[in-house]
Amino acid sequence: MSLRTYFTPGFNRALSRFRLSVYVWLTLLALALVAIAPINSLLRNSFSHFYLTDKPSMPFELHLAEVFLANQEILGPYTGFLLTLVLLSVLIFAFLSAGLFGRMLSPDPVVTFREFLADGARYFWKFILSLLLFLPFLVILFILFRLLIAPLNLWSSRALTEWPVIIAANLRMLLLILLWTAFKLLLDLARIIMVSESKRVIPAYLSALRFLKGNFLGLWGLYLLLGLAVIIISGIWLLVLRLFPAGMVPGVLAFIILGQTYIIFRVLARQVFIGIEYAYYLRRKGA
Amino acid sequence: MNKPNSAKTSLAWGLWLVLWLASGLAAPAQERPLSYDLKVELLPESATLQGKETIIWTNRSSDYIPDLQFHLYWNAFKNELSTMARESARERTISRYRPKKDEWGWIKLVSFSTGSGLDLMPAATFISPDEPHNPDDQTVLRVELPEPLAPGQTITLNLEFQAKIPRNGLRTGYYRDGFFIAQWFPKLGVYEEGRGWNCHEYHLNSEFYANFADYRVQITVPGRMVVGASGEEVAKVEDPASGKTTYTYVQQNIHDFAWTASPRFVKLERWFRGEEEVRPEEYRQMADILGLSPEELRLPEVRMILLIEKQHQHQAERHFRALRAALKYYGLWYGPYPYRTITLVDPPYRTGSGGMEYPTLFTAGTSVILEKDVLSPEQVIIHEFGHGYWYGMVANNEFEEAWLDEGINTYSTGKVTDQAYGPGRLPFRFNGLPLSWLLGLPAVYDWQLGRIVSAPVAELDPIVTASWKFYNSMSYSLNVYYRAATCLHTLERLLGEKTWARIMRTYHLRYRFRHPKTEDFIKVVNEVSGQDLTWFFQEFFFSAKNFDYAISSVETRLKPEKYRGLFDNLPGRNSSRNRAGSAEKSSSTKAKIYQTVITLRRYGQAHPGPGHYLKLRIDFEDGSSEWRNWDGQARWVRFYFEKPARVKTAILDPETIWLVDSNLTNNSYSSRGPGAKLLSTTGKLVWFLQHLLLTFSGLL
Repeated sequence: MSLRTYFTPGFNRALSRFRLSVYVWLTLLALALVAIAPINSLLRNSFSHFYLTDKPSMPFELHLAEVFLANQEILGPYTGFLLTLVLLSVLIFAFLSAGLFGRMLSPDPVVTFREFLADGARYFWKFILSLLLFLPFLVILFILFRLLIAPLNLWSSRALTEWPVIIAANLRMLLLILLWTAFKLLLDLARIIMVSESKRVIPAYLSALRFLKGNFLGLWGLYLLLGLAVIIISGIWLLVLRLFPAGMVPGVLAFIILGQTYIIFRVLARQVFIGIEYAYYLRRKGA
Repeated sequence: MNKPNSAKTSLAWGLWLVLWLASGLAAPAQERPLSYDLKVELLPESATLQGKETIIWTNRSSDYIPDLQFHLYWNAFKNELSTMARESARERTISRYRPKKDEWGWIKLVSFSTGSGLDLMPAATFISPDEPHNPDDQTVLRVELPEPLAPGQTITLNLEFQAKIPRNGLRTGYYRDGFFIAQWFPKLGVYEEGRGWNCHEYHLNSEFYANFADYRVQITVPGRMVVGASGEEVAKVEDPASGKTTYTYVQQNIHDFAWTASPRFVKLERWFRGEEEVRPEEYRQMADILGLSPEELRLPEVRMILLIEKQHQHQAERHFRALRAALKYYGLWYGPYPYRTITLVDPPYRTGSGGMEYPTLFTAGTSVILEKDVLSPEQVIIHEFGHGYWYGMVANNEFEEAWLDEGINTYSTGKVTDQAYGPGRLPFRFNGLPLSWLLGLPAVYDWQLGRIVSAPVAELDPIVTASWKFYNSMSYSLNVYYRAATCLHTLERLLGEKTWARIMRTYHLRYRFRHPKTEDFIKVVNEVSGQDLTWFFQEFFFSAKNFDYAISSVETRLKPEKYRGLFDNLPGRNSSRNRAGSAEKSSSTKAKIYQTVITLRRYGQAHPGPGHYLKLRIDFEDGSSEWRNWDGQARWVRFYFEKPARVKTAILDPETIWLVDSNLTNNSYSSRGPGAKLLSTTGKLVWFLQHLLLTFSGLL
């Protein structure tokens, strides 16, 4: 079977439910705006009448640093605020994932905000439970990671030059990412089974493990291929973003628009991942 | 220890004599009352040194001196109870010294006697001269003399010592068969007439202080090692039987001696030639500024030796370029480099000696992958070379007044870097990969960054504080390096380029090969500038005060066409009442008048001294400008304007004279604000947070 067998239905499913990306993007935007509000307030207070001359005494970025250093006392409370927001985000993202999977796997391609919320509510606890059940797998991931990097650590600690240290550090990071993607497949698949076959959490995990036993490499390969494509597109996007001058209003607006489009792209990429995983699962589950 | 054959030894001594006479440093014996003759062998397998040392010292003071005091610096790495280790343990963020089992370092005397053979070992005890006393510290050794050393009397001391090299001590250490050896031999403290010995313990946050001396050092190492050291190599004797090589180095008029050995060094040499590096117009310009003739500024030839790790060899020319720039500008500005060689060491990997200065030798670590526009290792090279001027030659007491070399040299480093390279991009590395280009970090001048990072410690400690008495390492380094440099930049801007250049050159040449104090620097500043700037030092060097002036508010309103209330028809009031009245009648024909009140505030405790002001420039929308001066003594001041236009912009200290101002962001006013810049910042922050959240959501 060619890649198109999985990619075409996966893409189609994601694109036909594009609205989901917009819902998630809006939620992310709202959360980011809430998180940034205290900093924004500080910046507004400090810079509302700031005058940047044609020949400034220092770059604007250093003025930002100056303001943050002069207001270090807000760092503690702000960190607390962010941590609270992160904890809250765990619940919000579980809800969003539930909505996303619910609508993505629904045979009905029509997506409304109401249905998105309904699916979020319907699968919310199952998704929280699936997350909790994923924790032991994370422990396995960590142990496996420690075992796999042991030779790298040894190589690095005995190095006579910087190269082994740099190479080992980056290989460790790459290894962690690869392991993560492999384990994340399990979580995704369990959720797909939970939603599409209305299974409970533990049976869904068991089904997912059984499925991966015979199909892991194929699915992982697809996952990595897609991941690589997203990284390449992201790189191009970032290069394009850097072309816009930050000091001029049109440039800033272009940056904001393209930047937000990129966030939507990333959410859509997530949808495509789910769509392709689902297509693969449907095709291969009987095999 | 390996004995060189006698013919080569004679040749070495002959060469040494010729070089000594030719170096220009050959001064009458009475000017250099101290000499060190050292023989040391490196035993790489055990990471130890075996050394013999002869010290000849003449008491030039009028005091009868009852004892001698020595630094045994490596005992700082002996255990967890040394003063350095205790101070390190108190630091929560940086500089913690955590050696493993076999990595402790130490130094011990095997024998100690006078030239006449009198054994001094029984008279030797460790002391703790600094507060708080630490009876467990063994970095200062006191030796009671059988009878006091009379004024003019000379004493010869013979010592044998063994030392274990700390694995990764501060500024010294080893890794595999790469060694960087500093503060390694028993070293006499500085005797100060009337005050006794100045011989401090090894502290975490302190560097050093020593007398100028003549050094002759024989270093024996395995033949595979490439060696670099302070001074000039005058002999190299290979012993095929043992496979060892003995190098002899000599140098006059230096106050420390460091060396390094590694089989992975590549040794490269270039010449610095003044006539090639400095254009005639540069000589003329500098001569004009300093009031000297161009001939007086001519720079001599210097042999530049680079010991660079093979992995960094591709950066060799980058290193030489930075060293040339340093030799050029330090030489032009402060006085020619007086030694014949300078050795730049890319220190052996993992030896804990990234950037440090020693007379005629310095270390400057680098990374195997570099970005072109990030000025590293350039700034380190310029800085550490610069210490040859500030501390190497103008040899202040780094224990007690570290700013005198670190602050002045940070200032000088910034000036040289700006002149030779311009601004450098802020560095950012992840997993050893340089990523500044990816983040689009801005290019900044050294002084811009320096004033930002030092502002938060302004109220923590005065700059003039003994190194080990700072609140913590952060306060020490930010105060003595960056805040001091920022203050000097401010002083330069207050006095003007020409006066400042003359001050710095006068100070350097007057105190070259001497031990100045802060008071000496102040005296030169006052003398050359013709002003009493003692207030500046009181305010910024001897006090922990913040300097922060701001435009607090700019309020503008349309001037009322008439005033309400009762007005007496008194002499002197008529005109104003009439003015209001007439305005009422002809308001349609008259231009609008705006009343503007600008309030300036002083948020910090520090303020300008007598005769100095902060300037305020106000630009109005009709193109006109107004200037006001404020002496800054009060906590606030208001300026009133009546103009036919609103305020467009206002800038306090528009020429940015007062770089020491901890917050320049509150020094300006614009009716529009920064607009796109702020929008861009907020947009980027939101975008960045969305990424983080999205990635986080992917984890769930």
